[in-house]
Amino acid sequence: MKHIGRAQTSLTNRQLAAGKGVFVSDIQRHDMTHMAVVRSPHASARIVSIDSAAAEAIPGVVKVVTGQEIKANMNPIFEAYDTEAMGAKGVVSYALCPERVRYVGEAVAAVVAEDKYTARKAADLVAVEYETTPIVSNTKAALEPGSPLVEPDWGDNILITRDFVKGDPDKAFADAEMTSSDEVYQHRYTGAALEPRAYMAEYDPYTEQLTYWASTQNPHPVRVFLAETLGIEESSIRVIQPHVGGGFGLKTPTFQEEPLVAYLARSLERPVKFVSERTEDLLVGGHAREMRLSYDVAFTKDGRITGFRAKVVADVGAPSALCGWGMSFVCAYSIPGCYKIENANVKLFSVVTNKCPWNAYRGYGKETASYLMDRVLDDVAAKTGRDRAEVRLKNFIPPDEFPYTQVSGANLDSGNYPGTLKRVLEMIDYEGFPARQEEARREGRYIGLGIGQELTPEGCSMPRSTLLGGYDGATVRVNPSGQVTVLTGITSPGNGNETAIAQIAADSLGVPFDQIKVIQGDTDICPYGLGNYSSRSVIMGGSAVQIAAKDIRDKMLKVAAKMLEVSADEVEVEEGQFSAKGAPARYVLFKDVASTVYRDCHGVAALEVEPGLESTRYFQHGNVYHQPETQGRFSAYPSWPNQSMAMIIEIDPETGHFDILKYCAVHDSGTVVNPLLAEANLHGGFLQGVGGAAHEHLVYDDDCQLLTTTFMDYTCPTAMEVPFFEVEHQETLSPFTPLGTKGVGESGVAGALSGLCSAIENALPHLDLRFTDLPLSPNAVWNAIHEAEEKRT
Amino acid sequence: MKKSIEVTVNGKSQSVEVDTRMVLADMLRENLRLTGTHIGCGTGSCGACTVMLDGRTVKSCSVLAADADGRSVQTVEGLSTSAVSLHPVQEAMVENQGLQCGYCTPGMVLSAVELLNKNPDPTEDEIRHGIAGNLCRCTGYHFVVTSIQAAAKSMKEGA
Ligand code: FES
Ligand code: FES
Repeated sequence: MKHIGRAQTSLTNRQLAAGKGVFVSDIQRHDMTHMAVVRSPHASARIVSIDSAAAEAIPGVVKVVTGQEIKANMNPIFEAYDTEAMGAKGVVSYALCPERVRYVGEAVAAVVAEDKYTARKAADLVAVEYETTPIVSNTKAALEPGSPLVEPDWGDNILITRDFVKGDPDKAFADAEMTSSDEVYQHRYTGAALEPRAYMAEYDPYTEQLTYWASTQNPHPVRVFLAETLGIEESSIRVIQPHVGGGFGLKTPTFQEEPLVAYLARSLERPVKFVSERTEDLLVGGHAREMRLSYDVAFTKDGRITGFRAKVVADVGAPSALCGWGMSFVCAYSIPGCYKIENANVKLFSVVTNKCPWNAYRGYGKETASYLMDRVLDDVAAKTGRDRAEVRLKNFIPPDEFPYTQVSGANLDSGNYPGTLKRVLEMIDYEGFPARQEEARREGRYIGLGIGQELTPEGCSMPRSTLLGGYDGATVRVNPSGQVTVLTGITSPGNGNETAIAQIAADSLGVPFDQIKVIQGDTDICPYGLGNYSSRSVIMGGSAVQIAAKDIRDKMLKVAAKMLEVSADEVEVEEGQFSAKGAPARYVLFKDVASTVYRDCHGVAALEVEPGLESTRYFQHGNVYHQPETQGRFSAYPSWPNQSMAMIIEIDPETGHFDILKYCAVHDSGTVVNPLLAEANLHGGFLQGVGGAAHEHLVYDDDCQLLTTTFMDYTCPTAMEVPFFEVEHQETLSPFTPLGTKGVGESGVAGALSGLCSAIENALPHLDLRFTDLPLSPNAVWNAIHEAEEKRT
Repeated sequence: MKKSIEVTVNGKSQSVEVDTRMVLADMLRENLRLTGTHIGCGTGSCGACTVMLDGRTVKSCSVLAADADGRSVQTVEGLSTSAVSLHPVQEAMVENQGLQCGYCTPGMVLSAVELLNKNPDPTEDEIRHGIAGNLCRCTGYHFVVTSIQAAAKSMKEGA
């Protein structure tokens, strides 16, 4: 293998660095119109009336549309999950709300105008009369008997529950040498891709074709959702994904504006564009993470965990067609992570409130599971007086026990958790740290070291879901010139997977890297596939490319053998040349073999093969099962990358402010196709981990009004808040993918959550701090320090 | 209300008719079709819309187009002459993977160009300060900083 494993810069770098990328907002069409949305100012209300006369009177306004028109002409938005198959409650929601609103920002009407300023101004003039209804503002209130209901038809505010049991937890607690209990809280935040959401649609009434450009991660599923929601044929829709300015899960369908833009373009027979403003994206562009987790842990005096109970209560916001609420399920599903606990019980309560619905965000619930388990292990270490790393090493699933079935039924494919942890401790000089800490103290500085252990299942495949499936497709086409076009069902939201795809194709075919062109993100051109999420692109898409390439290579080997007058098993191919094994001087060029197949199909060499050099194949992951089992368990994640992280911080106890001095990680995602881009992805994960741990917070008041609606109050970390990162890879191959790949893209977002908690605690041991609530804002840290100091005096 | 302004954009002087409420970013993107200037927030907080106005970086979402009257604007498109001859900062970004989705990149590049114009040999800390007004959600800034370090080196060698 020449290209797999090679650090290769991304194929899109030059165009993007030149500012010549094309994002949806950059596209102009003749006669284009602009859409602006009228949003609910209330978290819970009935729509009494809508008066659009003032808006319609403004010159340049083309149309005002309301929920009643939408309900009369469109189906409810098609759901990402098959809620019935999941044992969850579904929801009927429309592209515009016809009768009532359930969160601030939910779309009730829209204006189409000749320019975006007019559209915005007219939208502000649409007069909507509301009758407010009682609000469900948090999970505690939501679960109280007699609480108002977010969805009156449901009978309660619970979207999904689970109760996973392994062994005999009650007995484990009855027999326990020691126990501890606590509750941890993960606050609400989101991915905030720098490019806000954007959609544009154009309808050609003569061909009855709808062309739809979207800043999306999933063109083919978008096409299905549009077809189902609009009640039109899939074949009449072409979805194109131009460059995407970051996704992180949040650009998975279906938001209200997506079918709305399509509907308006069809009914007006003019192009309609919608570009979300930042405030709109923070308000309704998908939230994530708000979960409260309580636990009881039973353990021996030397820190071996014998029993565990966890309860996850998630505030998923209002229910929607998006796949976000699934993160609560995946959180419970991933507990207890890397640890072998024979007696455990994990309960899930996924609760709806009048806040913005969740959408998928990098981590997809696993980060909160990792955060919980780190806090549990640190608790056990503190209670037993053992070292934090030692306690982890004592409780890890041993490397020789894979595949390992976790409490939820999850089938962990492979892993070597002690390997990554031990290595990262070496990188950060764990042994030498106490001396360093001592020395710093003498200088009046407070430094601390934290550990974060992540388990990040990838390749999500949920039963009967249109969006989340354990397969993908690819076409490999060798052209008459010998150059290669690869078309994939997976897409890149800007993370460079097309480059890894080209590397896999080059090796699988035996051609130079620069002979490969990768095309993604166009439903008229590319094979059906599910796009990008759950770090599936290289796992699923890369494997499909490999299978399709093998078809072509086998065929070309036969033709080359005839040309070389040897048998096919005596021929090999590398870097564009077929040669007789052991006699490299006897060769034919790849391009000449391709030419022979296309130009001389009745000639001697190609007569016995089917003409054409094109194959479309699908990869189906082996490590998934959806057949019903006890407790509703199924295996939704085929591969289980993991990462150990260690970080050193310095804190100023006077202000609560801390700086990260050193940040080390050892990641294991099996075979690494492109170490440069894998590392680049991890860096992004680290940043979002630090952002989530200490900087980013979506804050609601008691009336469910979002207070953080701009980048001035939703503060993303800058280059000043993070250091250089030190990353190494360990490669424990997946036994279930042809290359042993496992997926990279979500790792890094979890480790900082717990790692920074424990680093701060470690920096100030005299205060006996224990952080259980995020974020670690300077204010929160300062308060914790002062409370602890008061307790001491 | 419309107003006609005279503005030099990437070395070419032109008159543009703008709405007086229009911000510079929109004028560049919509009137002049220079879509390399991106909009990430519209409130001056993310830096995606960074351009040079009379040689100094500004956030073009927070400057009125009319205020560019009589002045000179440089956008990312003005930094390179063709696909094979990018500005050294852009080349360094390409070679060192200083970008992923590329949405922040034009603004990031212009901030880096301004930084290196003022300080050809910046420390890591000075680089981080220099791009502190440019948010990136993809890269974690690591390879952005190493790219700017590489650019500083190549510009010094080239000078
Ligand atoms: S768009 Fe101008 S600073 Fe964000
Ligand atoms: S590369 Fe995506 S925001 Fe910077």
